[in-house]
Amino acid sequence: MERLNRDAVIAITLLLFCGVFFWASFDIRTPNYGVLAPSTWPRVIIGVLTFLSLIYLVQSLRGNPETVTAGKSDREPGIRGWVDHWRNPLWCFGLFFAYVALLPVLGMLIDGIAFVYVLMGVLGGWDGKKPLVHAYVSVLAIGSMWSLFTFGLDVILPTGMFMDPF
Amino acid sequence: MVIDNILAAIDVLANTHAFLLMAVGVAGGLIAGAIPGFTIAMAVVLTLPFTFGMSPHLGLATMVSVLVGGLSGGLMAGILTGIPGTPSSVATTFDGFPMARNGEPGLALGIGVWSSFCGGIISAVLLMTLAPQLAQIGLEFNPWGYFMLVIFALTITASLAGKNMIKGLIAGALGLLIRTVGEDEAAGMARFDFGTDALLGGFDFIAVLIGLFAFSQLLNDVRDPETAKKSLTQQGNIRVKIEHRRAIAAILKRWQIVIRSSLIGVFTGILPGAGGSIANILAYDQAKKASKYPEKFGTGIADGIIAPESSNNAVEGGALMILMALGIPGDVTAAIMLGALLMHDVVPGPSFINDEPVLAYSIFISFFIATFMMLGLQSVMLKVFVRVTRVPMYVLASIILGFCGIGVFALQNVTFDIWTLLWFGVLGFTMRHFGFPLAPMILGVVLGNIAELNLARALAITTDLTPFVTRPWSLFFMIIAVFSAFFPLFQGHREKKKAWTLFYLPLACFAIALPLFMMGGTFRPVLATIVIGFGAYQLWRRRQNGWRFEAEEKTI
Repeated sequence: MERLNRDAVIAITLLLFCGVFFWASFDIRTPNYGVLAPSTWPRVIIGVLTFLSLIYLVQSLRGNPETVTAGKSDREPGIRGWVDHWRNPLWCFGLFFAYVALLPVLGMLIDGIAFVYVLMGVLGGWDGKKPLVHAYVSVLAIGSMWSLFTFGLDVILPTGMFMDPF
Repeated sequence: MVIDNILAAIDVLANTHAFLLMAVGVAGGLIAGAIPGFTIAMAVVLTLPFTFGMSPHLGLATMVSVLVGGLSGGLMAGILTGIPGTPSSVATTFDGFPMARNGEPGLALGIGVWSSFCGGIISAVLLMTLAPQLAQIGLEFNPWGYFMLVIFALTITASLAGKNMIKGLIAGALGLLIRTVGEDEAAGMARFDFGTDALLGGFDFIAVLIGLFAFSQLLNDVRDPETAKKSLTQQGNIRVKIEHRRAIAAILKRWQIVIRSSLIGVFTGILPGAGGSIANILAYDQAKKASKYPEKFGTGIADGIIAPESSNNAVEGGALMILMALGIPGDVTAAIMLGALLMHDVVPGPSFINDEPVLAYSIFISFFIATFMMLGLQSVMLKVFVRVTRVPMYVLASIILGFCGIGVFALQNVTFDIWTLLWFGVLGFTMRHFGFPLAPMILGVVLGNIAELNLARALAITTDLTPFVTRPWSLFFMIIAVFSAFFPLFQGHREKKKAWTLFYLPLACFAIALPLFMMGGTFRPVLATIVIGFGAYQLWRRRQNGWRFEAEEKTI
């Protein structure tokens, strides 16, 4: 039952998404040249997507096993259980978000090393010699990649506020 | 002419720089393919940012090398640990792992390596000979035909999602919609920018691909905290020496399996959406059916390694063939190759081989060279593989996430691309979790503008919609798109013995014959007659069986 509800929720979310995009398609300007208006193709896709989402919704409400996602969840109930279950991906998202947000400040080299170091610590733990090994691995990996792009491929990577004077 | 092109391509690639890049590519591909959880597509997509500073010839040669290496890398993990490195080497474990456990890991690896080599070479020969012919056919396509070809590619990819076909179709449509964000190519009008300048340029196609495929895959690999901390093997030192001589002898004795499986691989590669993951199982199944000793399959026999390994290496020849001849990617890795070509301002299509012969032939030649390099590097990379397997998954995932950030930024020097990577990573991970296949979405992103441009061209010629059914190629692709869309339903209902499924195949044959007749000439009407004959024969057989499938069920 929980899975059927979940599929139905996804279908409704998709229908809302279609609604937002259909609404936004009215903001597309139509020039006085060309046969295919710029809004036509997106509207065709939105129409198809809406139709498919409706089928998906009906199937999930009917309990058609073909739409039910395979596999059983082994997590504990409640928000705490959910957070525990998705702990690692949530850390990855959060840290990557922080990594991109801090990029203009720290620059690609420092930010990249910090991101890899913290992520390894969070995913692998901080016990024993791990912090040292993680520091070595992150400096070596990101440092060599940064050098390859900066000196080998002549790509100007963000320097950040601290490295900017150099 | 062909010889001149081959010589020009060899001239471009016959230098130390190119060889070094290709060797690194093959080595990287071998390792990426060998690590379970790291797919070949992920390896190829992560190579993309490194190639943008290279010439198209070198960049594509490097990517082809990664691809060839990745296709062969899966067998190392599959044979030595029983865990397939990639989905395309699943069937290799059926007999490869038992053979290794029976005390012959060197022979099992040797058979795997040489079968991969043979499959790769057969595929490369077919790629070089058939791609230009296919391109000639592609020149007959008009905008209506091209538009329907894209629709067919999306439909068949979605239908390969099997029981989740509706989710496959939704994923494909989402991919098409994502591609519409930003200025449209025909009129230059802003679409779905929601008032922000960043969205005006649309999402960078490569950032979307890396996010959807690599980023989401990495998150999936570290989802379970315990598994993330484990390395692939705790076995310590695996000391294996590949037994080349015995392997070659075993393969020569079973040359029919090599040829048949390679052809299965090439054919599967040509079908949009079908890839190595299907080809290796199909080839294994066919080898078992044709064998005089099917009961021995699964116990560790050479036939069970030769079939999947030669087929999965042959797949990419087929996928590249349709990409280079028609501009339609056969699978996700070919879609990334298309992205690489577009990044270098090269648009593949029927005229691609004629317009850019040196570049086209350099792709063919690099496929050949990489296959030979794979043979030589497999033994060396085996030692590296053993070391890499001792690294915990979380370390590999963290480093690669860091690389993704640098690589994606380097594409256009825009921070917005890293945001794109993040959001599409989240989207890809969520979609995987809810059982939505990503391949149709990726093809939707890749093919979205091709479909729209051809639709615009078709409507610019005439606003009449009847050419979609009166032009033979358009009708041909429309018919196979409809039949492929109903294929999962057919499979499901056939098991339940529904009456209509008896007429599915004969009806498909009769329907396909119609556009073949419309194409004119001599060969195609003859082919149409054969197809009708086959359909009629199927109908007659069903009637003889009392309108049942029974006789066929025995063979399936």
